[in-house]
Amino acid sequence: MNNTVLEVRQLRTYFFTRSGVVKAVDGISFGLRKGESLCLVGESGCGKTATALSVLRLIDSPPGRIMDGEILYHGEDLLRCSAERLRQIRGNRIAMIFQDPQTSLNPVFTVGDQVAEQIKLHLRLKSKPAMERALHLMEEVGIPQARERMRDYPHQFSGGMKQRVMIAAALSCEPEILIADEPTTALDTTIKAQILDIFRDLKQNRNMSILFITHDLGTVAGIADRIVVMYGGRLAEAGTVLDIFDQPKHPYTHGLINCLPSISTRRQRLTPIPGMIPSLIDPPEGCIFTPRCERRMPICSQERPKEVVISGEHVVVCHLYS
Amino acid sequence: MGQISNKVGGLRNLVFIGSLLVLGLILLLDIYLVDKILEPLGYFYLFFAILVIFYGLYPLYVNRRLTKYYWERTKRHRLAVFGLSFIAFLIAVALIGPFLTQDPTEVNFQEKNFPPVGFSIQQSVYDLKTGEFVTRETPGTWKHPLGTDDKGRDMLAMLVSGARVSFQVGLLATFIAILIGTIIGVLSAYLGGWGDMALMRFTDIMMTFPFFLLLVFIIFIFGPSLAFIILVIGLTGWTGTARLVRSEALSLRTREFIMASKSLGASDARIIFRHLIPNVLSAIIVIATLSIPAVILAEAALSFIGLGDPTVTSWGVVLHSGQRSLDTAWWVAVEPGIMLFLTVLAFNFLGDGIRDAFDPRSQL
Amino acid sequence: MKRGGLQGYIIRRLIYAVLIAFGVVTITFILLRVGPVSPADKYLANMSARTQDPAQVVAAIEARYGLDKPIYEQYIDYVVNLARGDWGWSFSTSMPVMKLIQRHWVYSFQLILLSMLFSASLGILIGIYSAVKQYTRIDYLATLFSFIGISIPNFWLGIMLILVFSVQLGWFKTYYDTGLPMFSLANLKALILPVITLGTGMMAGYTRYARSATLDNLRKEFVKTARAKGLPERVVIGKHVFRNAILPVITIIMFDLSGVVFGGAYLTEIIFGIPGLGRISFNAIFAGDYPVVVTITLIGALVVLLTNLATDIVYTWLDPRIRYD
Repeated sequence: MNNTVLEVRQLRTYFFTRSGVVKAVDGISFGLRKGESLCLVGESGCGKTATALSVLRLIDSPPGRIMDGEILYHGEDLLRCSAERLRQIRGNRIAMIFQDPQTSLNPVFTVGDQVAEQIKLHLRLKSKPAMERALHLMEEVGIPQARERMRDYPHQFSGGMKQRVMIAAALSCEPEILIADEPTTALDTTIKAQILDIFRDLKQNRNMSILFITHDLGTVAGIADRIVVMYGGRLAEAGTVLDIFDQPKHPYTHGLINCLPSISTRRQRLTPIPGMIPSLIDPPEGCIFTPRCERRMPICSQERPKEVVISGEHVVVCHLYS
Repeated sequence: MGQISNKVGGLRNLVFIGSLLVLGLILLLDIYLVDKILEPLGYFYLFFAILVIFYGLYPLYVNRRLTKYYWERTKRHRLAVFGLSFIAFLIAVALIGPFLTQDPTEVNFQEKNFPPVGFSIQQSVYDLKTGEFVTRETPGTWKHPLGTDDKGRDMLAMLVSGARVSFQVGLLATFIAILIGTIIGVLSAYLGGWGDMALMRFTDIMMTFPFFLLLVFIIFIFGPSLAFIILVIGLTGWTGTARLVRSEALSLRTREFIMASKSLGASDARIIFRHLIPNVLSAIIVIATLSIPAVILAEAALSFIGLGDPTVTSWGVVLHSGQRSLDTAWWVAVEPGIMLFLTVLAFNFLGDGIRDAFDPRSQL
Repeated sequence: MKRGGLQGYIIRRLIYAVLIAFGVVTITFILLRVGPVSPADKYLANMSARTQDPAQVVAAIEARYGLDKPIYEQYIDYVVNLARGDWGWSFSTSMPVMKLIQRHWVYSFQLILLSMLFSASLGILIGIYSAVKQYTRIDYLATLFSFIGISIPNFWLGIMLILVFSVQLGWFKTYYDTGLPMFSLANLKALILPVITLGTGMMAGYTRYARSATLDNLRKEFVKTARAKGLPERVVIGKHVFRNAILPVITIIMFDLSGVVFGGAYLTEIIFGIPGLGRISFNAIFAGDYPVVVTITLIGALVVLLTNLATDIVYTWLDPRIRYD
């Protein structure tokens, strides 16, 4: 595709721990286009955060290591470029925000300082113009009385406000891609909605590509153009929002959607997916979802299924369809 | 299960009190009838030993799984294991060493300033026959494998004696300090309000006093005897423990399981003993392991500047005489220092290992 | 605590410190009165007794020390005298204690200052570096060295250094030469061994604190944020991590200061013959010159108080979370 800005190919990221090698990401591929928002969905521990961190090579290097794969940013492989080049891209062309705004901001520096930091670094602005720009950004994300509050410290802000600060900082150099790792998970429901609004704005007004990581399908419905469902460090299913919600093919995706409480349908009980997340140390042969799959077949525990195209953008990785 | 442990607990307490009574009886006999079965320090040690057995070793035995868990974690720390083995070695030396070596106080001017085995120095010796000073090559001998000091005392014997003294001082003084600290800490947290504030202010004042200076001063006034030194070190070193115990106690107060206990009708004393103490125990153990070397060093420093008990041969005392003969007999200064260094090092390793083992956040 | 609250906090701490100071003074006073009569006093009494009636001499001494007044008057007198600068008379040196201290405090001060600079700067640097390069050989070496450093009895280290460098190699004199002008290179050279003696133990401790504080902070999320911004690693460590790690380290360093001064410095002065306050009080003890000892103890306590106060203030000021609550 011509307007693919980021392409992940066969990424594998392992963590070497005392108890064994955790295959957190075990061969995942997907692409992100300009101006689209792609949601990476899955339960906790399925490798979505590790994938996101791998893009900017932010994996903690003891114990983790990006083993294999390519991450192409406009054709340039981020996994193999120099450290210097990586630093030019980080915060500048590709920005990232994290889950817990409480701990993601440095408690000893003012909020204004932290938003302006990237501006000074990448845009080479002096202190005063940088702070002005930071001020604009903070106003844009909806922080009231921004001019006074710029000199405040993170602990003086509420969770939602802190997250806005993070977003302001991330946007400061007008990146092409924004990676958001569960940005609303730690927030209250009403605040969640507000933050999502900000993301939607970003997509529309700035034509920004967003890689949005979450485990909450409800959030996904609110913001995604396309969805990638991950399980056990691998791809389960991918497609547009309609594809996934209307015609989920993978048993796991089915299960996820069935888990959602819904106002419209009448149901006595919520149906969870039986079983537990597998250990990613020494995963068994074959499809990793097999133990929990209602529709498993003998071949499922023998061979890893391959990607099958259902239609257009919609692919699934399951023996039921190959 | 609870009833069984209650009964066992009760039995243990009975036996404990029983042995204390026996000890007290012996003490009385000593004072009034027989002439000195044990010297005062000896009683101290026995009491301490009884306490350790009943409140240290026995609970460890009963909670075998817990003990094993912590032991496993400690073992993974290689340095800690090294420290522990060295300490065990030292304890062995301290216990049986004095029976195997010569008398450390035996003076022999004919054999003074002998170097350790393998070394040999030039000595200027007054020859009785010719009435002159002759320079003679004096090699080390196996009779005095670590050499002798300027009064002909055997170095090895003195070092062994020093090991015993160091342990005595270390264990006892630390024990006193921790005991006082725990009592004050618990009391302070338990009283709350004015009592708490008063005790804490008192602790603050005690902490402000320069520990060492106070030590020197008091010992100079009242005279240097080993028992006294131990007492004073103990009486001045409790502040850290008090603060820690108090803060643990206060934080425990508000924790749910205490409230649960209280709502079940548990008495305050029960809460203190069954919940509080086990929880602070890990912190206390770490403090103890790191206090012992500090105490040993304090005693050594005191002896070094001349305020030690001259009737006792401790490493510090040897260092004190060694300082004078730096150019004629360097080993007298080097050897006790090495022992001190290794001992403190061993305790530090062990303390570090234990602290990591107890810290739930560290992945061992 | 609002922005103006910092001042309120300082004032409160000051009042508290004054109260504690009073407590210390009281205890010192008690010690002075409770301790047996100073041998020097006895000696003086004996001397004068040869020419006069001993009872009269004792009475005269008592009058001179105000011992015949009721105890609370003595206490008030004592405190007032302290405030006025009359800290007693030193028998062994025949001068007012105040003057004695004025003459000798510089030596202690220069030793402690140099040692602190040396150990703090090196210690913190090594600690941070060692934390960043965790699990490498440098880290293990630094950790081992810091263990050794805290375990070596510093008085023994001093002797060993003298043994090797002064006795055997002859590079330094064995005894401190007070005749040297303070700001001279020769003075600096003479202070090398004492500073190493005092500073090694301190540095070892600081290395550990700095290392553990840095490690704690390296794990925090804001480090990832900083990296994600594209900041070079040296800025991530040097600015973000450092500013957070330095907080506990400075607190501990300042807290430790008091222990150092009246423990390590004391012994170092004695070994090297540096006539600082430690050595003076030491001599005074053996001469039975109690006013000197007690006064220096008092000074020691006050120094501790001041450093604690300063530490509290610095900590509150440095950590925005406490300052602006």
